[in-house]
Amino acid sequence: MRHRLSNLLALGTGALLVALAIIFGLVQSM
Amino acid sequence: MIRRRLAGSVWVVIYVILSALPLLVLLVGETPSGRELWREISVGLGFAGLALIALQFALTGRFRVIKAPFGSDIVYHFHRQISIVAFALILAHPVILFVGAPNNLRLLNVFSAPGRAKLGVLAVVFLLAIIVLSLWRRNLGIEYRLWRVSHGVLATLAIAFALGHVLLVDHYVGTPWKRTLWIIYICGWVGILLWTRILDPVLMLRRPYRIKEVRPERGDTWSVVVEPDGHPGFRFGPGQFAWLSVRNSPFADADHPFSFSSSAECPSIYEFGIRELGDFTRQVKTLRPGEKVYLDGPFGAFSIDRYPDALGYIFIAGGIGITPIISMLRTLADRGDKRPLLLLYANRDPDRIAYYEDLEQLAAKLSLRVVHVLSRSPVHWDGERGRIDTVLLRRYLHDIYEGREVFVCGPDGLIDAVEDHLSDLGLHLRNVHSERFNLV
Repeated sequence: MRHRLSNLLALGTGALLVALAIIFGLVQSM
Repeated sequence: MIRRRLAGSVWVVIYVILSALPLLVLLVGETPSGRELWREISVGLGFAGLALIALQFALTGRFRVIKAPFGSDIVYHFHRQISIVAFALILAHPVILFVGAPNNLRLLNVFSAPGRAKLGVLAVVFLLAIIVLSLWRRNLGIEYRLWRVSHGVLATLAIAFALGHVLLVDHYVGTPWKRTLWIIYICGWVGILLWTRILDPVLMLRRPYRIKEVRPERGDTWSVVVEPDGHPGFRFGPGQFAWLSVRNSPFADADHPFSFSSSAECPSIYEFGIRELGDFTRQVKTLRPGEKVYLDGPFGAFSIDRYPDALGYIFIAGGIGITPIISMLRTLADRGDKRPLLLLYANRDPDRIAYYEDLEQLAAKLSLRVVHVLSRSPVHWDGERGRIDTVLLRRYLHDIYEGREVFVCGPDGLIDAVEDHLSDLGLHLRNVHSERFNLV
């Protein structure tokens, strides 16, 4: 179970950072 | 238990904040003049990946406070998973730049490219090398120690080059306070590096240990007994492990993780059960009493002491995965524990059953039932045959698991299968605790 949670955390962190990178791109390119 | 879960949640939140912080800092305050959306997104992905890579040093450093709520094996598992995520983010940075403007491909020319581009390319190449060497180390026939040294050197250089790339590009960290924040970030990273590579080894050097005894066990296994040399040592929990450095300085980065097999109630005596499985473990039998060794520990969350109120314990071991479990059983025996215990112990054949006689003795002292399961059982074998599957688990566990904690240790395949079988039986996986060997 811990491994599944760990995988979820890795994927979740990656998804959050991709979203932040897109926001970063939108703000910077304005 | 609640405090540990809270600590774990706090560390996860801190990790997520630290991974997002570089991007958030760049978004605050004055931003540089805008460029194309795809270019800015690619830069954002690069910063995000860099933040994750820098945090890897905190994950792999020997910080007990960070690892305690989760267990070291899961932190290393996360380290491997997140490194692939981080590399994907970093790789997306140049890929988007090249797709968006193919003339950027000239930045790959090592002769004409500016220094900032060279550093960026080197960082990506080094990270790729780390991933390839780590995922396919065994297939490539690379010795563990060589891999480990190269892993540390390549990772340090990759981050140094990446940070150099960011500072030389100078587009996003131009304002003084953003530059200051990035320098603080870099100092934090260097601090972790200093702790891991210098301060921690210095502390180990000042607290040496000596081999007291090396004793053969069944199944190509050796019990290595170690005692402190001129200091009181440390206390460990039953089921925990330590990093053992033999015939090397602590600076050599050549230590290996082994579970304690002795009772946690015997202070200042540390026994490790080591099976001959690889380059290092095959040398264990050549160790002689009196030799100096170094220990870094204790680590690990795989311990009955985390669940002191359980009505009983169920242990499931495969092969040398018995080591932390024998430590727990010896500790329970020393404590005079009377709770019901069950051990399902899987091995290939009778000659591979490490601690067979010790288990017989422990069964006499404790309220312990030992069930041996052999995959290649001889004709005259009155124990269980085959593998630990749902049928076997149902037979032994169907009416006893309520209120008990289950500890599983062995090869990954066994742990995965047992967790699935236990789940099929209706056990809640929060009562199932596992320890995986493949930390590194």
